[in-house]
Amino acid sequence: MTEPEPIQKAVEQFILNEIDSVPHLEALLMLCNGPGREWRVDEMAKALYVPLEVGQKILQSLAQRGLIAAVPAESETYVYVSQSEEKDTLLRAVDATYRRELVRVSTMIHSKASPAVREFARAFRLIKGRD
Amino acid sequence: MGPAVYILGIVITLSCGILLMRGYMRAKRPLLLWSSLCFFGLALSNLLVFIDLVMLPGVDLYLWRLGVAAIAMMLLMYGLIWEGE
Amino acid sequence: MIQSFLLGVIATTSLTAGVFFLKFWRRTRDSLFLAFAIAFILEGINRTAVIFANHPNEGSPWTYLVRLFAFLLILAAILKKNYGAHR
Repeated sequence: MTEPEPIQKAVEQFILNEIDSVPHLEALLMLCNGPGREWRVDEMAKALYVPLEVGQKILQSLAQRGLIAAVPAESETYVYVSQSEEKDTLLRAVDATYRRELVRVSTMIHSKASPAVREFARAFRLIKGRD
Repeated sequence: MGPAVYILGIVITLSCGILLMRGYMRAKRPLLLWSSLCFFGLALSNLLVFIDLVMLPGVDLYLWRLGVAAIAMMLLMYGLIWEGE
Repeated sequence: MIQSFLLGVIATTSLTAGVFFLKFWRRTRDSLFLAFAIAFILEGINRTAVIFANHPNEGSPWTYLVRLFAFLLILAAILKKNYGAHR
């Protein structure tokens, strides 16, 4: 069962704007599929089959974009915090799309402009929530 | 009319430089650092043009203007070429 | 001689930057990059046109206009990014 058009577009926009790599996406989805579940950096790195530093960078960049939160008490630990109903729905749709169309989503992520270029464009964003 | 264009140029290049520097502080991508420095350099070049043509008509700053702009552009080249991951 | 060299450096690097920004625009479809691309390419052409000028260090009205257009384009792109219609 596929989501309707506008949601599909929103999913694609989200992936294009916020996701730097496939492990980024998988990390984010793992976090938001278990809300409240705290992940340590080493746990996440193992789950993603990436080296520790890569796992660290991924979680840091997700937190920097406001998609997940660092747990204040613990160091190097992150958790998904629900910000809005809309965001939760979007992420559920992203999850469903990724499960269904793994190849298409991965291809989309790999053919994007580099993170540096996207950060260049983001630098000119004066108003939050726009791209 | 000329001076106004260069004032506008200074404002815009300076703004771009500031936004990119802010972005660099946040995201730490070298591309943003080098392009920010380029825009600051271009702002300086525009300022020199303004000073040269409007404020100090007796002095010729042409080589300085060109030199600053050339260095600024080379910083941007460096950033653009190495920006790939 | 030095002037010509520096002008050449600026013209070439500007055109190159323009091409990079065109590539970024193609990848991201973000019109901000298109604006920068046009601005830098125009600047490259501007600097090259100096060959035909009599008093290059004073600047001709044409140079002003082209530069003004380039600046306004960048300004418009930034404003559009922040205040323009949502896609």
